[in-house]
Amino acid sequence: MNRLLLCLTGLIFILSSGCGQKAEQPSDNTLTIAMIAKSSTNPVFLSARTGAEAAAKELAAQHGIDIVIDWRTPPTEDGQVQAQRIAQAVNEGADVVLISCSDAAKVTGAINDAVDRGVPVMTFDSDAPDSRRFAFYGVDDIKTGQLVMEELARVMDGKGQVAILAGNQNAPNLRKRVEGVIQSAKQHPDISIVGTFYHIETPQDAAAEVVRVNNAYPEINGWAMVGGWALFTQTLLTDLDPDKMKIVSVDALPPELPYVEQDIVPVLWAQPTYLWGYESVRLIIDKVHLNKEIPVINPMELVRVSKDNLGDWARQLRDWGFTDVPEMYLQMDSKQ
Amino acid sequence: MLRTLLNSQQAGLLFVILLIGTILSLSAGDHVNRVTGEVVNNFLNSYTLMQTATDASFFVIMAVGATVVIISGGIDLSVGAVYALAGVMTAMMLRAIGPESPFVAVVLALGMCVGIGVLCGLINGAMVVGLRVHPFIVTLGTMWIFRGVAFVTSKAESILVPPSLTDVVKWSIGGDALYPMPMIIMLIITAAGAIYLSRTVMGRHIFAVGGNVDASRYAGLRINRILIGVYILSGLTAGIAAFVGISYYGSASCADATGYELYVIASAVVGGASLRGGRGNAVNAMLGATLIVLIRQSIRTLHLDQNYEWIIIGCAIIAAVVLDQMNQHFTTRRLAKEA
Repeated sequence: MNRLLLCLTGLIFILSSGCGQKAEQPSDNTLTIAMIAKSSTNPVFLSARTGAEAAAKELAAQHGIDIVIDWRTPPTEDGQVQAQRIAQAVNEGADVVLISCSDAAKVTGAINDAVDRGVPVMTFDSDAPDSRRFAFYGVDDIKTGQLVMEELARVMDGKGQVAILAGNQNAPNLRKRVEGVIQSAKQHPDISIVGTFYHIETPQDAAAEVVRVNNAYPEINGWAMVGGWALFTQTLLTDLDPDKMKIVSVDALPPELPYVEQDIVPVLWAQPTYLWGYESVRLIIDKVHLNKEIPVINPMELVRVSKDNLGDWARQLRDWGFTDVPEMYLQMDSKQ
Repeated sequence: MLRTLLNSQQAGLLFVILLIGTILSLSAGDHVNRVTGEVVNNFLNSYTLMQTATDASFFVIMAVGATVVIISGGIDLSVGAVYALAGVMTAMMLRAIGPESPFVAVVLALGMCVGIGVLCGLINGAMVVGLRVHPFIVTLGTMWIFRGVAFVTSKAESILVPPSLTDVVKWSIGGDALYPMPMIIMLIITAAGAIYLSRTVMGRHIFAVGGNVDASRYAGLRINRILIGVYILSGLTAGIAAFVGISYYGSASCADATGYELYVIASAVVGGASLRGGRGNAVNAMLGATLIVLIRQSIRTLHLDQNYEWIIIGCAIIAAVVLDQMNQHFTTRRLAKEA
């Protein structure tokens, strides 16, 4: 048995060494930032990673230090795993932790432990406000929800039946956005909310939920989407009639651009997700390396994407490292 | 005696764990502790070793119960959902009652987690026996039902638990961030599971039922009672794991332990439990879980591309089971020749 298990060990390490490139060992002049996003299968966080690595490169040259982005994001959303990853990063000598919290309550203890052990922690996208993190960078989620509903009310001429697509029911930031949508809808007496619909946060599940709800509630003529999951598929391009249905959504990633062009989604409120990484790393260097005072809450502004600036936004996405931006949008002139 | 010890499956698993630990220690590099200023190995330091044991403890506690079910020839896919339901219900009860005494809070929490775990196990066992449906189907169904109940009752909120629970389970050595309690509970549960399976009549009955259910029936064993009992044990360990989990992390939500059932079953199987029943061991389940957690840890410690984590773990599990089957085959042939 021992010989057999020895073979197993060998297999594990052959696989391990074959599958991944080993990172360089940090030198003494290195600042290691452990970056823990919610899920490594979500493209918005890959864009954040690209932003963080770009900022690390720029700031390293500027300040004469090595800045390493140590990507420790779990494959799927799990607050408990994130807490474990914070502890692992600290145990292995990370200098700073940068995290987007899947479950603020679950990671608060681990964040406080890290701070107790001399490792500062910053949050982005989704905060842990009761922890001792030194700063947060992200959108105001209630305001985001309000912007979605305001824009939807405008394109629906202030009347109609609206459904809310809400993603994962456990995510506190998404719940706040839904709250913002509902608050704003109350300002429009001729608009009623049919319901809030949660789903697994994959494009296929989200699109299927939209189709199911549309079949169950044929009176719906507007969707307020607090995340863009359903629009990452192409199926709704043919399933929805732009004359009968209007959608306003958060996020504006490459697969969503045809929806704007075809007027099914007249407006997308884009989170510049690249800046989650870029700005967070800049703030970390200001705080940790340059000892500057920085605000605890650092708001990120949303970008309004419509037909008018579709070309500009497409080129911006390409510059931020997205490789799947359709060429036709990159060639578009800007009307603004 | 020594030969038997060295040829035992525990020795094999321990050898692999120590080998991986040695490789990690030699390859991990080091860093300067920000508080003490000492240079410490990135793997071979008390914090990482304790964290690895803590990460494994949730799987191990549940894997002991799952191993009992697997030995009986069944399967329990609902352990992750039982964990979530027990955690959520306990956190909600504590929030509603708001016990002032820390002792009362801990006792209530433990009682509630264990009680809900046992109840869920009883439901699983009763359905497997009463409906005569394969346990895979029954526990697949209850997995969704239990998690759905947790979702509906908690409204998907993450519910904080009283700090007194965290104080107990995150009791630290010397005020440092070293928390041994999950590991201690894991060792106690493993020892209890090992004694139950190998030193009690009830434990031997489970092996008998898993090995040959018809023969056990003819021998006069109460099959239904034994089967209900194994699912209760599985629920019990899931409830204990929930108590440790919510206390350690300070909150409970309906999404807790999603997908853990697969790690738990994998731990038991890597530890040598046979999905055909009749074979398994609590200590091996602990070593199996530790091995899986160590593989996950090594991917990060060695700074390998973590996108390959699932592939590596999947290959390791298949390889472990295939090698174990080959070993069984060769042992049987050797014994036949010797006879």
